[in-house]
Amino acid sequence: MIAEQQIDSYLAALRAQLGPMTLKDREEIVREISAHIRDSAEQTGADVEVILARLGSAADLAAQYRDGLLIRNASRSISPLKLMRGALRLATKGVFGVFVFFVGLFGYAMGGGMALSGMIKPIFPAHTGMWVRDGRLVAFGTQFPHLGPPAHEVLGLWYVPIMLTAGSLTLLLTSFLIRTALRTSQKWQSKLQVHVVA
Amino acid sequence: MAKPRIQPLESEPDRWEAQLRKGALEMAALASLWHGRLYGLEILRFLETHSRLVLAEGTIYPILNRLKAEGLLTSEWVEAEAGHPRKYYSLTESGRSRLREMASAWAGFAAGLSRLLEPVLETEEIPQ
Repeated sequence: MIAEQQIDSYLAALRAQLGPMTLKDREEIVREISAHIRDSAEQTGADVEVILARLGSAADLAAQYRDGLLIRNASRSISPLKLMRGALRLATKGVFGVFVFFVGLFGYAMGGGMALSGMIKPIFPAHTGMWVRDGRLVAFGTQFPHLGPPAHEVLGLWYVPIMLTAGSLTLLLTSFLIRTALRTSQKWQSKLQVHVVA
Repeated sequence: MAKPRIQPLESEPDRWEAQLRKGALEMAALASLWHGRLYGLEILRFLETHSRLVLAEGTIYPILNRLKAEGLLTSEWVEAEAGHPRKYYSLTESGRSRLREMASAWAGFAAGLSRLLEPVLETEEIPQ
């Protein structure tokens, strides 16, 4: 293979491996690496093969760019999916991340469940609600078969707005907690890099 | 920080040294820009000549990218006589103050460790 082809195929592989980034970021990286290869060739007179070997494989190079990107992007997002992906990545880095991930899982399940339950109430009005017996809470949510006396349902149609509000607040609070945790972890990480090594 | 990979073939002391270098790299990259803007290849050469820190060349670019995302560096494309533009990096205000913090933390720690290691380096034989 002649030099130009080798460079082109290296850059094409790099571009492909940088997949999840924005087009602008990706092209910027490819342009910089391309300039590096040309400069190295001109200044050292080394073979393209040698220069590419020193850069490392396109897959390794792309992996170094991608690492940390997921968490960084997630910490700026409000999408539960992105936040949970960020939390999952953080979970691979230590106990704190595992804790954050499970808190997130629990919070989203709770909040989602509550909001869903509020939406179900108009469909199964007799089966959904909050039941009390002798002043104690005995059941909550949607129950089959439906609970009769001596327990009685106390919220009625108020159940809908109460559950929708409580569910949304729980979802928001969970998102806020994960974002804060992801941002904190980034600060730790850049500080740790100096202190651990020093 | 790159994900640590398990490399059974690499001996423990080598891996320790590799970790040590890797952790210091961000600071070294920032320090190379103290006197003004440089492009990637110049940063590599600067580190080689001033600190004998030889890097796998691919390592420096993702680090520069991350430091830029953290707001410690800015970059600009400059047209060169070579016929193609080069991406020059320079320190931002927060990059300069961060580097100062890093440098003083490093200097303090290194001085303490050097005192600690003095007897280890002076003693010829391993005491029983």
